[in-house]
Amino acid sequence: MEKQPIIEMKGIVKVYPDGTKALKGVDLTVYQGEILGLLGENGAGKTTLMKILFGMLHPTSGRILIRGKEVQFRSPSDAITHGIGMVHQHFTLVEVFDALHNIILGMEGHGLFSRIDVKKAREKLQKLMNDLNFQVPLDVPVEDLPVGVQQRIEILKMLFRDIDVLILDEPTAVLTPIEVEELFRVLRHLKEEGKTIIFISHKLNEVIELTDRVTVIRKGEVIGTVETKTATPQLLARMMVGRDVVLRIEKPPKEAGEPILKVENLSVKGDRGEKAVKSLSFEVRAGEIFGIAGVEGNGQTELIEAITGLRKPENGRVYLNNVDITGKGPRELYGLGMAHIPEDRTHMGLILEMTVTENALLGLQWKRDFQRWSGVINWRRARGHAKSLIEEFDISAPGTEAPVKSLSGGNQQKLIVAREVSKAPVLIVAAQPTRGVDVASTEYIRNYLVKLRNEGKAVLLVSADLDEVVQLSDRMGIIYEGEFMGVVKPEEVSTEEIGMMMGGIRYEEIRK
Amino acid sequence: MDLGAIISILFMSLMAMVPIVLTSVGAAWSERAGVVSIGYEGVLLMSAFFGAIFAELTGHATIGLLGGILVGILLGMLHGAITVYLKGDHVIPGIGINLLALGVVPFGILAYWGTAGQHQLPLNAQMWHISTQYGELSPMVGVTIVIAVVTWWVLFKTPLGLRVRSVGENPEAADALGINVEKYRFWSTVYGHALAGLGGAYMSVDWLGLVHKTMSGGRGFIALANMVFSGWNPLVSLIGGWLFGFFDALASWLAPKHIIPGQFILMLPYIMTLIIVAGIIGKARPPKWDGRPYKRE
Repeated sequence: MEKQPIIEMKGIVKVYPDGTKALKGVDLTVYQGEILGLLGENGAGKTTLMKILFGMLHPTSGRILIRGKEVQFRSPSDAITHGIGMVHQHFTLVEVFDALHNIILGMEGHGLFSRIDVKKAREKLQKLMNDLNFQVPLDVPVEDLPVGVQQRIEILKMLFRDIDVLILDEPTAVLTPIEVEELFRVLRHLKEEGKTIIFISHKLNEVIELTDRVTVIRKGEVIGTVETKTATPQLLARMMVGRDVVLRIEKPPKEAGEPILKVENLSVKGDRGEKAVKSLSFEVRAGEIFGIAGVEGNGQTELIEAITGLRKPENGRVYLNNVDITGKGPRELYGLGMAHIPEDRTHMGLILEMTVTENALLGLQWKRDFQRWSGVINWRRARGHAKSLIEEFDISAPGTEAPVKSLSGGNQQKLIVAREVSKAPVLIVAAQPTRGVDVASTEYIRNYLVKLRNEGKAVLLVSADLDEVVQLSDRMGIIYEGEFMGVVKPEEVSTEEIGMMMGGIRYEEIRK
Repeated sequence: MDLGAIISILFMSLMAMVPIVLTSVGAAWSERAGVVSIGYEGVLLMSAFFGAIFAELTGHATIGLLGGILVGILLGMLHGAITVYLKGDHVIPGIGINLLALGVVPFGILAYWGTAGQHQLPLNAQMWHISTQYGELSPMVGVTIVIAVVTWWVLFKTPLGLRVRSVGENPEAADALGINVEKYRFWSTVYGHALAGLGGAYMSVDWLGLVHKTMSGGRGFIALANMVFSGWNPLVSLIGGWLFGFFDALASWLAPKHIIPGQFILMLPYIMTLIIVAGIIGKARPPKWDGRPYKRE
């Protein structure tokens, strides 16, 4: 059967009020029943394009045709009426409601003042879930559910509205590898059911694994569309970035020096009082990257918070350069030579509403260099500092006085790295340093961490991206339920063995 | 303390709870939709004043109550227009309404009745009460209980309530599903202020039968505190409001007995409410977008 285009976007231009040209005349065709990958770096315009298709943004010019008929959407609900649904990177769920009420919201049934027929809604949803062959708990407040399940609730919410086209914006960014597998299974099933899926991503492997066709967008323009069968990671990467990308990291061998960070029998409690870190000991030496790998939620967050002074440990000691820093606050730790790239860039790393200059100054405002004699901040110096970071790290920002939220995710992350490194640390604690960051920035940040190591700094790297830990680390600890299942050199173990340790089997048992 | 005295205090407490409960229930609804107002104190005072005028002009107390609701609606629309449509701050307009009331009411009493600070309503402008040997009860006590229960039911059991709560918790989510965030927020604000307006008029034309320039007596703020420690739940607000009414009544009953200095006794309802609020606050969590204007990207 000849494939019918279900969506045609023609000459879409989007100019933001501040003059930024996000889309420069984009044409996109989506065929009925396919999975289309929309590939591009952060800030390339993928999300903007899809928000236009979903009615959240209005194009400056251009036309949208659904099944050959021109449409104009004023709001997302218009798009939903036309059978287009979108699952955003940041979920739009009412956290205190359970899944059932989140899904039926706005489609509760007859009469605003009549009682909601919960039983009927449940039956309807149960049938939908059975048809799709995936389940979510309907009665638990969604805030108590893991992100993978929340995402499925978002998908269900759209399917409940009988949509034909499902747009997913970077759906795997927040998922564990197992959840990604599950998501892909669901999406393939939806495709068999005749749904059309647009999958926004910057991850090459995922796009190749899942999609039928890939459209690559760079800097607001379509670079090209290829059949996934004929695509290679190298080809897609080149299209996406505009040049060849070194997907491998050059890392010369290096003899590690003195221990910089020493952690002894550290125990930390989690938010719910559970034992998150159980008597953990390790050290990170000068000129060494020590990686911590593991499925998220196995104590990594609590461990980092205890080391960086954000959480009081229950037991054990932490030493930095032989100084006992257990329980000391972040400001004191900065003074002793620690830098911290926090795992959640928008909540802990930056203040999005504040300018690049202000963000570049965070944590440095105490220094005499940035103050006048009166103790007032010397903004001229602060701007100079921001400017030098922008230049040195090749951060693309509209200017030093632009709010940080106007930067793309990758550039925001580069700004954090730049700021932290400018504190002249001896130890860099990097948590998820490349999460949600485009390929080029990822490459840059990874190489920079290696550069710091080569300069003799100690780097503690925590990442859910196993490839990242394996590529960068000189030694790595695999954490499971707050304990190391093994501390190994990456080149001495196989991926399978790492996987087994991530699943809770000790290294000694594997090597028996 | 004999049984008669206890029943008498109970009656008094039911009469005293009405303005607190109505305001708390209204404020809870409005904040569930995400609109904060601290102007209820001013709404109570102004609707007490204008409600009395309506009642006197028509000779019907019920018209006075409806007049109070009307004042509440108008002030609610003002607050709603500023906070919802103009995306303004949620606290400042409330300060404005409170200050306005402090000026309008004393001046109005003097200008309209020619008395300074206080005016006694004629009997034909006062609400009819059920009178027993233990004291009087207003039919408004029953109305208040019904309003609290129905508001709770609508808020938690119907599509309307679900949508109201969704715009207060996550307006983005609601917007994406085609729910008109501004419309729900605006009319929720109006409803909240209308209930406070009813409570204000009740004070003058029903409960006390007089207008006094400071008759709201902090009840608008107490009602907000009550709303918070009730966890933004109209049913719990009913109980909390009655608790304040109880201490209010107990204070009035104790005051003439000169056991301890009267000033301390009159502090009782405020202090007890404060203690209870301080004891329980922190457990309750406000709606996530409470007090935050919502603007589409």
